[in-house]
Amino acid sequence: MKALRKKRLLTVLVILLFSGLGSFLIFKALDSNLDFFFTPTEIIEQTVPDNKRIKIGGMVLEGSVIRDKTNITFQITDYKHSIVVNFNGAVPDLFKEGSGVVALGYLKNGIVYAEQILAKHDENYMPPGIEIEK
Amino acid sequence: MLVEIAQFLTILSTGLFFLNFSFSFLFDSKDQHIANLVSKIYTHSSLLLVTSFLIYVWLAVSDNFSVLYIAQHSNSNLPIFYKITSIWSAHEGSMFLWILFLVLWGALFNFVTDNLQDLKVKSMGIISIIIVGFLLFLLLTSNPFETILPIAPANGADINPVLQDPALAIHPPFLYMGYIGFVIAFAHAIAFMIEGNSSVKWEALVRTWSIAAWVFLTIGITLGSWWAYYELGWGGYWFWDPVENVALMPWLAATAFIHSISVSSKSSSLRIWTILLSIIVFSLSLFGAFIVRSGIIDSVHSFANDPERGLYLLAFIGILIIGSMTIFSSRLSMLTSGSAIKTFSKESFISINNIFFGVLVFSTMLGILYPLIYESIYEQKISVGAPFYNAIFVPMTVLASIFLFFSVEARWQRKFVIRSLINSMSISALISGSLVFSAYKIFNITGTWELISIFAGSLIIIRYLFVIWDYLLNNKYSNPFSVIAHMGLGMLMISIALNNELSSERALNININQSDMYQGYEIKLSDLKLVNNPNHDSVQAIFTLTDPLGNNFYLKPEKRKYFARGQITTETDIYVTLLKDIYITIGDQLKDGSWIVNIQFNYFIRWIWFSAIMMSFSGIMLIVSINRAKR
Repeated sequence: MKALRKKRLLTVLVILLFSGLGSFLIFKALDSNLDFFFTPTEIIEQTVPDNKRIKIGGMVLEGSVIRDKTNITFQITDYKHSIVVNFNGAVPDLFKEGSGVVALGYLKNGIVYAEQILAKHDENYMPPGIEIEK
Repeated sequence: MLVEIAQFLTILSTGLFFLNFSFSFLFDSKDQHIANLVSKIYTHSSLLLVTSFLIYVWLAVSDNFSVLYIAQHSNSNLPIFYKITSIWSAHEGSMFLWILFLVLWGALFNFVTDNLQDLKVKSMGIISIIIVGFLLFLLLTSNPFETILPIAPANGADINPVLQDPALAIHPPFLYMGYIGFVIAFAHAIAFMIEGNSSVKWEALVRTWSIAAWVFLTIGITLGSWWAYYELGWGGYWFWDPVENVALMPWLAATAFIHSISVSSKSSSLRIWTILLSIIVFSLSLFGAFIVRSGIIDSVHSFANDPERGLYLLAFIGILIIGSMTIFSSRLSMLTSGSAIKTFSKESFISINNIFFGVLVFSTMLGILYPLIYESIYEQKISVGAPFYNAIFVPMTVLASIFLFFSVEARWQRKFVIRSLINSMSISALISGSLVFSAYKIFNITGTWELISIFAGSLIIIRYLFVIWDYLLNNKYSNPFSVIAHMGLGMLMISIALNNELSSERALNININQSDMYQGYEIKLSDLKLVNNPNHDSVQAIFTLTDPLGNNFYLKPEKRKYFARGQITTETDIYVTLLKDIYITIGDQLKDGSWIVNIQFNYFIRWIWFSAIMMSFSGIMLIVSINRAKR
């Protein structure tokens, strides 16, 4: 009886140890791979680390799009502040001045160098955290 | 008029299904008359529902825009095929299709099994009450039969152009068939626990059904991946989008389930776990429906945001889970039976494989839910992207495949002797090692995880080649379905690793009659054409590509503008070779008339889907062989 109990206790302990270790590793992987989402105002008001991949969402500011061959520079705005975004490549079909956009990339000297530009499928899409006062 | 009839039929079938549920639980299910009655009522109520759906299809085909849903999602200019598929292009119709499939799975089961088969009556009752739950959801929160009165619009608003595509038209039906097909296993598990007779082999009764559902789910996910690749113009095969993830979770759990079913049905030692898995698989399928339908997660796929629908579904799933878990915990003593698992038996390996699948499901769930939790605590929006999933999935899959490698010759309820296999195993390891070395030297593959994945993948494939060799030469028995499916897994790992390492893309800026070079290919924009179509206009760019050997071929990507919604879409064009796809899309036209052109070289991408097809093929073959053995 005692031996059996000891064995059971050991099994439970081993299971606990492994699931604890597993959860720790999973949460660690999670924490180091989060993409934080900011609006332009939040970027200006908070300190955003420049070695972390971030998402910035807002509207493409009217008249801000400058193209130079495959390079595109534009401003993302929440109609309070704007942030310059630089991207090399083809932008999605729904990318338009005055419509919603999300850029995924790194912030460097106040400019977002985007790896990816997302415009939403839904034409009525509005990036989170933005209320338009027009 | 027709639409009212359809709605009436649906309401009528809801009542009948409920009646069926009551009969199967109020009366003695061992009674032949009751069993026949339940079976008959089910057939009749499903006929009512199928008729209702067919009327709805007819309404869509005949452009009946007095029906609100059809007016919002179809258009008289659409080809008939897309008029039909427009039914499942949005929420209400998708739910209707979902219910239709749920009913059909039950009807097929009802049709092919004997009325007195163990657990049948109660299972039909459980399926009926689930149908009632979904029908009430449909009728109360998302009624597809709603009409526009008194005057119907002249034309419909059209289906979203990116959904006007054959692969996407059949992708949701396959996915739904897969999701909802696990209802048979779920209903049997519950019925098994309620009846409380532990000598019934419920696993054997649901094995074929679960594999069939798994095959549908696998094909559905693959179709979705393929569609996203060529239609969205991003060139990837998987984006770790929440909606993809909610399809992946039931798939992972279901894969674990169909593995453990064979253990549980052979030695009943993993019974508790298998019952639990059947509940998990079905709950995850419903959770998938909840995530997509409620719009609580911001995704490229999300349909309308509707808290009422989300709440109903959440309550429904909650009742199902709490109910089944209550039954489960009250029957624990009945389920704990059978012998302990021997180390290094096949059961032990399958138990380990279940742990891996469990970790993957848990991590995916965490990736979906963590942003919601994080936001409510820290008021900071975050998202979890590919890096997290890669960090979990890659090492887990590698580890799992190492275990798989050792388990190949394991036998049921028996330890296996490693010494007799040492030759084939070390030779496999040696060959895989040299493959990795040549991948490193010749193809310049340097990523550590890529090399490890290639090693693990080829380890599996070569190990199974030995099994095939043994079969051909010594006529030694092997399970062909396991061989094909697992070789598919090996190939999947290798092709994903190679795709990840070798693929590249570049945006080019080309004017007409100019050319540019990329990866040794000359890309020339030789012509631009305007093409008129019934429901859209398009600009077609014609590229002449010259490969390093001087061979020419043409690629014709398009930009389309659809009339009904004014939406602009990009059509890719792809040149497929054995090892790589050359993938071109056109972006915007700049002021000087030149075009932004995106070119991608996607290596081994076809092999990824082919691996998935191998897995589903093994499932289909297994079903065929089980049915043949029964006769």
